[in-house]
Amino acid sequence: MPRRPLAALLLAATAAAQAQTSPPANEPVVVPQIDRRDVKRPKFPSNDFELGLFTGIYATQNFGSSSVSGVRLGYHITEDVFVEGAYGQSKVSDEAFRQVLPGGVFVNQTEKLTYYNVSFGYNVMPGEVFFGRNVAKASAFYFIGGVGSTKFVDQKKQTINIGFGTRLIFADWFAMQVDVRDHMFSLDLLGKKQNTNNLEVTLGATFYF
Amino acid sequence: MRRLPWAAFALLLALLLARPVAAQDSERLLVADPYLELHTGPGRGYPVFHVAERHEWVTVEGRRTDWYKVRTQNDKVGWVPRAQLEKTLTEAGSGKTFRDTVVDDYLARKVEFGVGWGQFKAEPMLKLWTHWRFAEGLGAEVTVGQVQGTFSGTDFWHLNLVAEPWADRRLSPYLAVGLGKFKNIPNASLVQAIPTDANLGNGSVGLRWYISDRFVARADWTLYTAFVSDTRSLEYRAWTLGLSFFF
Repeated sequence: MPRRPLAALLLAATAAAQAQTSPPANEPVVVPQIDRRDVKRPKFPSNDFELGLFTGIYATQNFGSSSVSGVRLGYHITEDVFVEGAYGQSKVSDEAFRQVLPGGVFVNQTEKLTYYNVSFGYNVMPGEVFFGRNVAKASAFYFIGGVGSTKFVDQKKQTINIGFGTRLIFADWFAMQVDVRDHMFSLDLLGKKQNTNNLEVTLGATFYF
Repeated sequence: MRRLPWAAFALLLALLLARPVAAQDSERLLVADPYLELHTGPGRGYPVFHVAERHEWVTVEGRRTDWYKVRTQNDKVGWVPRAQLEKTLTEAGSGKTFRDTVVDDYLARKVEFGVGWGQFKAEPMLKLWTHWRFAEGLGAEVTVGQVQGTFSGTDFWHLNLVAEPWADRRLSPYLAVGLGKFKNIPNASLVQAIPTDANLGNGSVGLRWYISDRFVARADWTLYTAFVSDTRSLEYRAWTLGLSFFF
């Protein structure tokens, strides 16, 4: 019995001695004489955002067509899918009504129509457009659709838009696009609530950043 | 009407002038694959018009989504997908420069933007949100929305705290609570209707479905409480379906 503590003491003493002489386990035995290479992972800024101006024709159902202009901000999520927010405004006239109905429908002859929307687009037909023999520019045809709101004659109406468009990419930072959109919302200006289709064709300049 | 486009145009000009010169950021890479295909545009549908061979140096000049604009030694410029650049070597000789999105990259994405559409007490509702994940399973969210009813329109915004206890799952439920503002404007054709301006509290349960590395589909059910006056509050139930994406 008295031997056991002694043996334990001896063991502990040898262990302590070993711990003093041998290096800690995490330190390498051989230190390599190589300079550490400066490896940096390249990072490339992308230009996936776009900012654009557009102008064109907005055909308000029952009220004829008028010029429209607006801005859009987009983000290209993948090569196929992009998202875009747009704000546009137009001045709609009730002149056609005034010809048969003195007094017209609006209080003033023209009313401002504004809309905004957020839409998802999908590039379906990537291709190239050729200018003469030597110059070709990338293009893309896309389908687009989304939701938003239209404000017209003090009424705010939820609006669904669907459409298509094509964009011609002239440079990394610049593209031109033609967009055809149907803005669908309900309106009760003429006495009865009806769903209206309001077609819009615009030409836009888009800047990528 | 005229003023808005001009202001935007001025902003655009300022942005364009502030653009840094891209050429300085270029990086030389050595093609290690048998060849590197150069497309005419940043997408798989654009035709391949040139091939850079193995051991050729190429310069990367820019990026759009997952496509890189590459210039070869003989000055051909084309677009290469990230997957093909994965096998190139940098000047320091290291490989694996352009790995595809891995879990780390995915988890590093913190900001999400989304759009939802649904019903707010049987009336159509539209909302946009930006979500910022600041900790694992916790996020802050700003939502702006609009409800357009037959008799009135409502604009609202709220700031929410979102808890996502099983954030590692593909189908992940979440809980959110928040506060905001609510503004109800009756349609002009109604007589003697007064606009309501109130504080808004909301509690929400929802489900997120992580569709791919960039997209999340979302469904939620929310109970809104509008504190119209000291003694009166209105409750609304709403559900929405939405789609969001990571920046």
